[in-house]
Amino acid sequence: MTIITVSSYVDCIPEGSLSTARAPFAPWDRRTLPGLFDVEESARRIGNYRWTEMRLFEALGGWVATVPELDVKMVLGRHCYHHAWHAELWTKRLPELREMNVDRMTKPANDEMVAFMNAISEPEAPDQTIEKLVGVYRVLIPRTIAAYTYHLHATSPITDSPTQRSLKHALQDEFEGYCDGEMLLQSLIDTPEKVARAMKRQTELDQIITAAGGITGPGSIGTQPETEEGTV
Amino acid sequence: MKRHLPETELARDERFRRNKVEDQIFDPRNLAMATRDLGPAQMSVDRPSVSERSRSLMHGIFVGEIQALEGAGRTCFDFDDADAPFALKLDMARQCWDESRHVEISCKLADHMGTDIGEYGESTFLYAAACNTDPVMRLCGVNRALEGLAIDVFSSMKAFGETTEDPILTFCEDWMLADEVTHVKMGSDWMRRLTENDLDRRERALEFQRTVDKVFSLGGFRGESEENPIQITRKFRELAGFSQAECDEIAALAQQAMDDARSMVAAAAAAS
Repeated sequence: MTIITVSSYVDCIPEGSLSTARAPFAPWDRRTLPGLFDVEESARRIGNYRWTEMRLFEALGGWVATVPELDVKMVLGRHCYHHAWHAELWTKRLPELREMNVDRMTKPANDEMVAFMNAISEPEAPDQTIEKLVGVYRVLIPRTIAAYTYHLHATSPITDSPTQRSLKHALQDEFEGYCDGEMLLQSLIDTPEKVARAMKRQTELDQIITAAGGITGPGSIGTQPETEEGTV
Repeated sequence: MKRHLPETELARDERFRRNKVEDQIFDPRNLAMATRDLGPAQMSVDRPSVSERSRSLMHGIFVGEIQALEGAGRTCFDFDDADAPFALKLDMARQCWDESRHVEISCKLADHMGTDIGEYGESTFLYAAACNTDPVMRLCGVNRALEGLAIDVFSSMKAFGETTEDPILTFCEDWMLADEVTHVKMGSDWMRRLTENDLDRRERALEFQRTVDKVFSLGGFRGESEENPIQITRKFRELAGFSQAECDEIAALAQQAMDDARSMVAAAAAAS
């Protein structure tokens, strides 16, 4: 067998022909190393995402039978799958981050986050559609968008590119879901009393998730300005 | 929110009217209907009642899809991961999305066929089968029995659409049929996986399915003869994981349900 070395390969290029050697990174490729998250931190956050997405899709599925509004019922059914699919994305990513026991990493950021998800899924009565939707679409989904966006920007686009790809897919659903939910709410909130109900519910839940620090705990969207030192 | 929501608590707007399935089966007018010779029971364009019957069936499909959506959603919520693993819940969540689309489709089809929400009553038998506290029972009762019935119904409606040269009905039923085959297959696969090491549980679940299959053959509504409006569709059932023997069993249960109904009619006629 002939082993082709680099020098012999270069020697293979006929004299006078144009070189095909190019810089490994195109001028427009501004990705840098490292990112803010090491493997453990990325996995920890993803474990929190998976826990949150699972609790969310379960609640959305459970609520379908409890809302009388047909259009809301159908949207909840659709979004139930979107969030289950996000949980599946994180189920597949965790073992790639050295966490073979997915369930071990699937946990809430802290006790406040447990209290928050319990509070989100607490309304049941058919006249509480506003309370159900406010919790998801005015509190949890914006927090999820924020945490996913921070992760997308903070992690290394080279080493953690698979997570970024999943984050982008999930974020696309989150944006569309947010719009669906907000438009449903705007159509349901048609009196000053309902405005007050929605605000009260949002305030209650915002206080709990603020205590949690966000869906991955304190630092969900970063805590202090980062430096550019040490990037490659 | 509590786990295991009873069918009496299903949320509906004011257009919906609830029927009891037993009231439909034991409606005394059925006696008079049964003694009239109306010819083949399949939906046929030369029958004067065909447009009314097809609209009524479409409305039944519409409310059935709502309940299927609700049942799949409840299975996502009602169980711990130990009883219903994440992968099962993921499939149920997927079914939620599919059933949401089916509600949208059947709502538009009902409008296309000239009926409207609430024109006919709603019996909540499908959701009732989804209230079982054992997920395997739910899978057998809903995914294998009632979604299996949906395969038969959609096949018959698709054939009706072809006969009446209605491309919209044919198109929609064909798409929904593809989803139903997937749902029945999910039920078959999960039933086998969850009972792999507990054959007694599997047998109990299959017995529950037989009961549901017999009850919802509705005394001749479904079968394999001209007397049955809805035809058992063996080809799609086999795609969905049913064996030939299981298809034979469903056909026999349907025949038995029709014979039982006839005996009841005869007994009622003799008594009157």
